[in-house]
Amino acid sequence: MTNEELTGLLQALPLRQLHDLTRGRVHRHFRLGKRRLIEVILSLPPESRSLLEVDVLKPKRQSPHQPSLENSPQPFVAKPTQKKGRGKAKLSASLEPPITVSELLDGLGVPTAQPFHADPWQIEAISKLATNDVIASVPTGSGKTYVAIEATRRALEQDQTVIYTSPLKALSNTKYMEFSQLFGADRVGILTGDRKDNAQAPLLIMTTEILRNLLYDAASGQIDVRLNTLGLVILDESQYLADPERGVVWEETIIFCPSQARLLLLSASIGNPQDLSSWLTSIRAVPCHLIHHQNRSVPLRAGYLHPDGVMVPFFRTRDITKGRGFTFHPETKRLLAQYEGETLGHRNRR
Amino acid sequence: MPPAIHPVQLVEVLRRKQLTPAIVFLTSRRACDEAISAFQRQEGSLPPERTQAIATVLEQLAVDYPSITGHPLMETVAQFGVAAHHAGHLPSWKIAIEELMRQGQLDAVFATTTLAAGVDFPARTVVITQSSVRKARDFSDLTVGEIQQLAGRGGRRGKDFVGFVMITPSPYIDLQVLSKGLTGFPEAIESQFVISYPMVLNLLKAHPLDHIEGILAKSFAQFQLNRRVDVHQNSLDTIHQDMRPFGPRVCTDWISQWQVYDQARRRHSQRRPASQPDPPGTAAKLPFLTPGRVIRVSKGFAVILRQYRSRGQRYPMLSILRAKGTMTESPAMMVNHIYDHVLEFTTLRAFPWCSPTTLSHLTHELTQLPSNLPVLPVLADEEQQNEESLTPVLTDEFACPTCPSQPACRKDHAVALRLRQKEKGIIKTIHALRTGLWLRFQKKSHVLHKFGYLTATSELTSEGDWARLIRIDHSLLITELIRMEAFAAIEPALLAAVMAGIAHDDDRPGSYQRMSPGLSTMLHQVRAVADSLASYEDPPLLRTDVAALTEQWISQPTLSWANLVRKTAMAEGDVYRLFARTIEFLSQIQTLKISHPSLAETAISAITTMRREVLEELP
Ligand SMILES: Nc1ncnc2c1ncn2[C@@H]1O[C@H](COP(=O)(O)OP(=O)(O)OP(=O)(O)O)[C@@H](O)[C@H]1O
Ligand SMILES: [Mg+2]
Repeated sequence: MTNEELTGLLQALPLRQLHDLTRGRVHRHFRLGKRRLIEVILSLPPESRSLLEVDVLKPKRQSPHQPSLENSPQPFVAKPTQKKGRGKAKLSASLEPPITVSELLDGLGVPTAQPFHADPWQIEAISKLATNDVIASVPTGSGKTYVAIEATRRALEQDQTVIYTSPLKALSNTKYMEFSQLFGADRVGILTGDRKDNAQAPLLIMTTEILRNLLYDAASGQIDVRLNTLGLVILDESQYLADPERGVVWEETIIFCPSQARLLLLSASIGNPQDLSSWLTSIRAVPCHLIHHQNRSVPLRAGYLHPDGVMVPFFRTRDITKGRGFTFHPETKRLLAQYEGETLGHRNRR
Repeated sequence: MPPAIHPVQLVEVLRRKQLTPAIVFLTSRRACDEAISAFQRQEGSLPPERTQAIATVLEQLAVDYPSITGHPLMETVAQFGVAAHHAGHLPSWKIAIEELMRQGQLDAVFATTTLAAGVDFPARTVVITQSSVRKARDFSDLTVGEIQQLAGRGGRRGKDFVGFVMITPSPYIDLQVLSKGLTGFPEAIESQFVISYPMVLNLLKAHPLDHIEGILAKSFAQFQLNRRVDVHQNSLDTIHQDMRPFGPRVCTDWISQWQVYDQARRRHSQRRPASQPDPPGTAAKLPFLTPGRVIRVSKGFAVILRQYRSRGQRYPMLSILRAKGTMTESPAMMVNHIYDHVLEFTTLRAFPWCSPTTLSHLTHELTQLPSNLPVLPVLADEEQQNEESLTPVLTDEFACPTCPSQPACRKDHAVALRLRQKEKGIIKTIHALRTGLWLRFQKKSHVLHKFGYLTATSELTSEGDWARLIRIDHSLLITELIRMEAFAAIEPALLAAVMAGIAHDDDRPGSYQRMSPGLSTMLHQVRAVADSLASYEDPPLLRTDVAALTEQWISQPTLSWANLVRKTAMAEGDVYRLFARTIEFLSQIQTLKISHPSLAETAISAITTMRREVLEELP
């Protein structure tokens, strides 16, 4: 194919499809506009260019994974991993009329103050800690801190030492202040690499690395913190286990955590909490109890805000449902097509 | 229409629809700062009582964190009720913004996605303008977990009936990625267990060598490897089922017999010279280098299309497809990693070894691979050698031609051999998965022995006994420098400067700094040592500008933070992080009180001088 022929073909394609074509072929393709993309495509090495030409010539088919936003008259339904059997439910869902903006924004406001009632999962987590290690994998903002605080309170009442770790110094500092207010400054200590403030306190805050080091020192017989009375170790934001550089520290900490201490792992975003729980059960003295749910305590809705300030719902339905694919709101689809058209025009004019 | 909504207009819309307070996630620190400058160019301001309330909170916080006083953005925050929050700011400033946000005093905070995890920072609305982030010098799509961490900050318990996530397009956005992130389930955690030198030393300090394998087996890494073993075990069971009809015949191992016979017969008739045996490393890899296998070559992922050996070539070759979509021929020994991941496809006998559609499909698959794909540990073993280079034997030494089982063997041999090769491959894989961690441990301990930190029986030497206390990145470099007395009688400023050079792993640009001749020489030496250790440990960046900046901070105790920051193009927050990390490194040296008392003293003195002004505000 000559450069002119290919340029012609590419020009005729919507931007979205150019991105699909260049995905994996052009570095950072999503940062480029149409004209730049075409230039880059033309300068591809011969092998990848010929592969791409094959793709360009392929009859246009709506692949379920990368649907084109333009020219799709029927409601646009993306089905990431949809099986045939689900088809019916899907169809009826998309036949319901799309919600309106006022429905989207309906019910917005500030609830009146309510007396505090712990959630069932919070109570479950706290009580299970008496006999089990616990993983609480619940959405952001659910109240994991409450579990940490109450579990700490119980351990302190029994004269146990409690260690709270977080991955970030910033978070440790926030918790240090919060816990000092709750339990009294004299009962809370904080450990960093070079500083030990109140290291003999029954509640110690530190980063996970510091705890790991402490456990190594203890294993080789040089204890300088009261680990023999350690009753509870809280690992906040434990999804850091998956961090490429630091994840290993969480594993070391869990492997060497003294067997008499209970482990409390808190996290919002883990895809396989069951695996984590089975792992803990397989290596720890007591079984691990998993608390896992996806229900947000404050419902979340999604909107689309156009650069000109127009706001429309993002999905057809008001609530964001998990694991059942999604359908864009027709208005979002329309505005987005317009956006792509106009930003394209904007670029071409330059 | 502008390519993205103007920040001032964005906040206006959010205010009008009562969607404040909001967190607006932007792609870069610069974008956050520019959003704030856009407000500074505006007329209007908040009602005076709100401005006053914000100013009061900031004043109160300034009692504990003096660096907040006189912050250049203080007035803007109070006047417009908006702020920026990113890693370029000092921790004290971030604490102030977080506190204001918790109290509901701000309408919008423009933040980078580093805010995503761990900071207690809720709002009614979260605005998302991007679908990718810069990770390790490259842009990659946000993961489902990350998108949910971002969006999850929308809706404060007890303060909101509902929370919102507002998506606004910019040239950097892919709505598919975001929609999947909002409606999908977060990714599974994959273990990132790595065995480091300090880990080996500390394990061997506390446990006898024969306990170590058991301890490693307790890792989540091994737990997940065992899961993969189970899968392979299942396919092994299936293969054993399929192999039932091919059990012992006239000779017990008729498959090998026939193979040797068959090869000998052909060789005999063609009189081809016996092929050279492959080097052991490559030989062990060969059974895994099959079509569909994902591998790493020098420049990234690739998938194998076929394995072959040309007449003139001594070594086996691979036809591979790279992630860029290019097809290349590569000697099998150039493969850096073999992954435990196979892309299924139908092979063809002729170029390009599969259909063009498959090619593009494979290319796409390659780009979708996670960067932390599990590596298949391949063990080189001796048995393999013999098998690969079957010694040519003459045909008349075989009983096959006259054997009653001959017709059956001839018929079944191809199928049976393929099954058996598959079986062997899987058994190898299982073995590798079971012993991989232990093997890596042994490799590391071997190096430590070579350097004299471990005895031949894997006990800590006197050197190893203190070296285990250095539990940071580049530990080998640091302990080697200590052993070669590079730090003997060193000034605190110089020690800290070198540690800063080793500790700092950020490549955001700084500015040229004046440094003492002593530091200059010292950095040269350190670099030489680091390079000589390169095959055992990745060398640090050793940026001279950050080393020099650290040296100035310590050697000039009257230098103020404001003046220091003015000397460099680095953001204040980055300088703070550099110093905090340097203190962390120095504090490890400080633990060598018993073995290296004067060096530990120097470290303490460096830390004490470093901790002033801003660096004293937080533990
Ligand atoms: N049972 C409850 N009833 C009402 N409000 C609660 C309850 N439990 C916790 N909260 C409130 O919910 C808010 C969020 O809690 P918290 O910070 O503990 O969330 P989290 O689960 O730790 O989230 P993240 O993943 O962001 O760390 C807090 O303001 C807390 O006071
Ligand atoms: Mg939390």
